[in-house]
Amino acid sequence: MTRTPSIKPTVFVVDDDTSMRRALSRLLTLAGYSVQAFSSGPELLAQHQASNRGCVIADLRMPPMNGLELQAALARSGNPLPVIFLTAHGDIPTSVHAMKGGAEDFLTKPVQKEKLLGAVDRALAKDAATLDQDHRRRELQRQFDLLTPREREVLGLVIAGKLNKEIATKLGTAEGTIKVHRASIMEKLSVHSPAELGRITQELDSLSRGV
Amino acid sequence: MAIGACVTMGLIQLRVGLRCTPGGAHLLFALNAFVVAVYSCFELALACADSPAQYLGLLRWLDITAGLQVVTTAAFVWVFFGTGRKGLALLAPGLSCLALVADLMPQPKLVYLQLTGIRKLPTFGGATYTVADGVENPWNALFYLGVLLLVVFVADASITLWRRGARRRAAVIGGAITFFVLAGGTQAALVDNGIMRTPYLLSFAYLAILVAMGLELSDDALRASQLERDLHEAEHRLALATDAANLGIWIRDLVRNEIWADDKWRAMLGFATSERIDLDCYLQKLHPEDRAAVSQTLAKALNGKGGYETEYRVALPDGQTRWIASRGHVEFNGGGKPILVRGVSVDITNRKQAEQDLTHRRNEVAHLARVTTLGEISGSLAHELNQPLGAILTNTDSIEMHLQSPSPDLTEVRAILADIRRDDLRASEIIHGMRAFLRRKELDLQPLEVAHLAEAVVKLVSSDAATRKTTVGLELPPDLPHVRGDRIHLQQILVNLLVNGMDAMGTCPVADRRITIRAAQVDPHIVEITVSDAGVGIPPGELNRLFTPFHTTKQGGLGLGLAICRSLVEAHGGTISLQNNPQRGTTARFTLAVFPEDRT
Repeated sequence: MTRTPSIKPTVFVVDDDTSMRRALSRLLTLAGYSVQAFSSGPELLAQHQASNRGCVIADLRMPPMNGLELQAALARSGNPLPVIFLTAHGDIPTSVHAMKGGAEDFLTKPVQKEKLLGAVDRALAKDAATLDQDHRRRELQRQFDLLTPREREVLGLVIAGKLNKEIATKLGTAEGTIKVHRASIMEKLSVHSPAELGRITQELDSLSRGV
Repeated sequence: MAIGACVTMGLIQLRVGLRCTPGGAHLLFALNAFVVAVYSCFELALACADSPAQYLGLLRWLDITAGLQVVTTAAFVWVFFGTGRKGLALLAPGLSCLALVADLMPQPKLVYLQLTGIRKLPTFGGATYTVADGVENPWNALFYLGVLLLVVFVADASITLWRRGARRRAAVIGGAITFFVLAGGTQAALVDNGIMRTPYLLSFAYLAILVAMGLELSDDALRASQLERDLHEAEHRLALATDAANLGIWIRDLVRNEIWADDKWRAMLGFATSERIDLDCYLQKLHPEDRAAVSQTLAKALNGKGGYETEYRVALPDGQTRWIASRGHVEFNGGGKPILVRGVSVDITNRKQAEQDLTHRRNEVAHLARVTTLGEISGSLAHELNQPLGAILTNTDSIEMHLQSPSPDLTEVRAILADIRRDDLRASEIIHGMRAFLRRKELDLQPLEVAHLAEAVVKLVSSDAATRKTTVGLELPPDLPHVRGDRIHLQQILVNLLVNGMDAMGTCPVADRRITIRAAQVDPHIVEITVSDAGVGIPPGELNRLFTPFHTTKQGGLGLGLAICRSLVEAHGGTISLQNNPQRGTTARFTLAVFPEDRT
């Protein structure tokens, strides 16, 4: 996996309890993470940018915006960083709700260092993976964008498993022309076999759907 | 016959007089009767005298017994009537006795200066009697003057007695003495001066008087026996009543330092039937914790008004405790010195037990309700507690990481340790508050500052309030006096009312979610505390029913909160009520007593 080196991933700590906030920042900094701490959800949202990378550790009960509300706000912002909930009192309905909302993890205070750092690593990896997938999708999209309309038509029929002859008949052209189109497609998409062609087409399809 | 009657009556009254107290009247009557008997003997003998010398000798004794008669009669009336003029009572027998001096000469001279002779006169059926002839002594009049004064004294005493209401006694005895002494005296006087030629018949008059006196005395005896029956009946009724009421009766003799008590009381206190009881061994039976208070109460009663009531415990040999309520009344002598304490005691163990059970149950239920209340806000409490614990653990990990490095940053480590210490103290403070809130305890009324109380409660619910986006405000006047209350129970009441308020505002816009605690001194003795919310309010029909146990308008509510609040407020001697505000929401108000020393 490749990372974009220009943006360092940051752990965003949001907790209304000063003492807890300080302890978390201290530990995560010692563990080698870049840390930013906020005392409330709105404070984080005020400086949240699309380019921010990393993850959020948020308390569930905070005035005036609780953890779940913060999670939803981040999701709406277009840059939904993974959220780890760290709560002093978590009940099952709340945790279910949080996990359904896409929470990365649900931890209870007091939390063991290993659990916390493990969760942070997983969240950062997920964020990085999201970032990599994003790059891959954009790369594939760029390659696909190089195809001519005719080539796209041919590609669709190739993926559907038609032979060159059948494609030529269907498009009302010579079989030799189709062979040229196929070679051009495989070059533009940097693939060497028809099987590979099918795989990256599927990959783009799935990345575009966000799965 | 008359002699026999006199002796019989005399013996009866002698017996009565010796056995009764006061028996003066009976003894005097007996003496009177014996004197009359002796007199009758002399009278009889005189009627049969054969010589002037014998006649004179007998006459002397007759006079002396007649004098005694006057003395005893006067004394009897004096004692029996309990009234009369003292001067007359002394003067009448005095004169008669003075007259008797004439009889103390070698030759008796009271009646006759000179006895000229005796004669025997026939009577019916051939019997004869003796009469004397002689020169009468004018000195004799002195004796009769004494007798006359006796009549005056008796008549006067009778009139007084009549006016006092003892009319029968005055009429019978006064009338009999007056009439028969006058009649008998006149007859004797006529015999003395020779006008009447008959023997002395005074004994019959005396007999009549004795009968009258005896009748009245025996009437007294009858009445006494009736009284005795009544007394017996009264005692019986009293025994029934004390038995039914489980009362023990006692009398404490302060002079002899002895306590008389009935069997019931002895059994109650654990004394044997015949055991001698004094104050010390009584106090020994008491529960050690009650001894000082009881002896203080007793001492105070002796020095003060004399009435007292007290409740104390008796430690029974089997280790059990018995509760006794005692009520006593001190009696003072003429000098105002206490001499006697009378009283009753009753076993109130069952009542006390019931009272204690009730208190115990109320405390149990209150405790249960506190656990429930704490359960409701336990999310907040766990949050409160886990914050410092979480920070401590994380800080510990940080220290560990620092120490693993080859050159640890000790300044940073010290800073982290300071944080750990602070968080540790914060956690223990929360636990302390929670434990205090949950402690099972009896009502402990202390002077409390309302502001402290309210601030502690706001702190207790602050996290919950923050989660529910509710502001809790305090509006307390600065000069509020201390109230008399139990810190934990009052906290419980306020937490309950705050949680209710927050529940009522769950659906309100966040901006409106505000609860205000206010307090005001409404009169010199009472502080009123109110908790107002801006919630949905209470349907008018529910306002009073909400205090009924297990009645609830909340889903999942136990319906105990307000019932407990009321029971706790009432245990403090206050009242609690709910009312809807004019605009919106509800106000709960309860009253507390101002701590006595703070009353203005």
